[in-house]
Amino acid sequence: MHDFQIWLVTTIGGRSAIADVMRTAWAWPLAESLHFLGLCLLIGAVGSFDLRLLGVGRRIPIAAMHRFIPWGLLGFAINIATGTLFILTEPDQYIYNPSFHFKLLFMTIGGLNAATFYLTSYRRIFGPDAPLDAPRRAKVIAAISLCAWIGVITGGRLLTFYRPSACEGQQTSLLLTCAP
Amino acid sequence: MNIDPFLAWVESTALSQWVVGSPSMFAFPGILTLHAIGMGFAVGVSAAIDLRILGVAPNVPLRELRRFLPILWAGFWLNAVSGVLLLIGYPTKALTNPVFYLKLTLIAVAMVLLVRISRQVFATGGPASSSPLDQPISSRLRNLAIASLICWSGAITAGRLLAYTYHRLTQSH
Repeated sequence: MHDFQIWLVTTIGGRSAIADVMRTAWAWPLAESLHFLGLCLLIGAVGSFDLRLLGVGRRIPIAAMHRFIPWGLLGFAINIATGTLFILTEPDQYIYNPSFHFKLLFMTIGGLNAATFYLTSYRRIFGPDAPLDAPRRAKVIAAISLCAWIGVITGGRLLTFYRPSACEGQQTSLLLTCAP
Repeated sequence: MNIDPFLAWVESTALSQWVVGSPSMFAFPGILTLHAIGMGFAVGVSAAIDLRILGVAPNVPLRELRRFLPILWAGFWLNAVSGVLLLIGYPTKALTNPVFYLKLTLIAVAMVLLVRISRQVFATGGPASSSPLDQPISSRLRNLAIASLICWSGAITAGRLLAYTYHRLTQSH
């Protein structure tokens, strides 16, 4: 895993046309602002849908509320795009950052959790005799979703406080958290 | 460099020094994190209401979205409190930067727009039916929703730029 991280940082290198653009005065702050706007779209759409499953706004049909989800996906796409720009420019600041590892972990939980929702609950909730109150399983999934995305925000916001320093001595952790 | 006695006093308080100087992740990093989470819920719910007004998720009864207002206000107050704590931590950094006043102005306008939108779509005695078909959306309401989205986008951008546009970090810098 250490070798993979080092290979990844070396391969990306941070020396590309994209990295050059990102290092101009306003590109990085602009991309960050878009990243925050994407966050709001994601929470506004996915978070509101989760809250509806948990019982907020019970009189709104769940299927109707689900129509907000494409806007959450748009926010997610914006954040994947801008996040990729950050990593392509400063790979070591992310690949060796424990806060980034947790952010990826929470993103994976959020993604698998969403997949579980569509595989297990979608038909019951969106079928012809859909209940106004979501089944218990869907509520558990919604609660996990909210926690996962709050975890993603936390991991992202704390990145700057876990910047990797140069490695000293032997690394024993699963993932490198310092720059070799 | 001239010293502002009020800002110097704020920076000398124990609270300010804890926010800025404590090695605890619950101090400055934790407050910043709460500020980002509160933003997600406050702006996210507000944007969802705006998008519904503009035609997204047309089968959602607009009036029923009022059930999400407590979430929006919880996010707003979380950010008011965490924002004040961040301001107590770095008063000079914020108050000597025009972008900070721009951010506050945009938030104030966005909140006024929210109240005006709420009066039109959520007020009791307004359109009583919760059927979406019974609520034709006026162009005035659409304009308020568009202005709300623009103000929030501007506030977020201005907030992010605070990290890049400040002139002076503390009174002793």
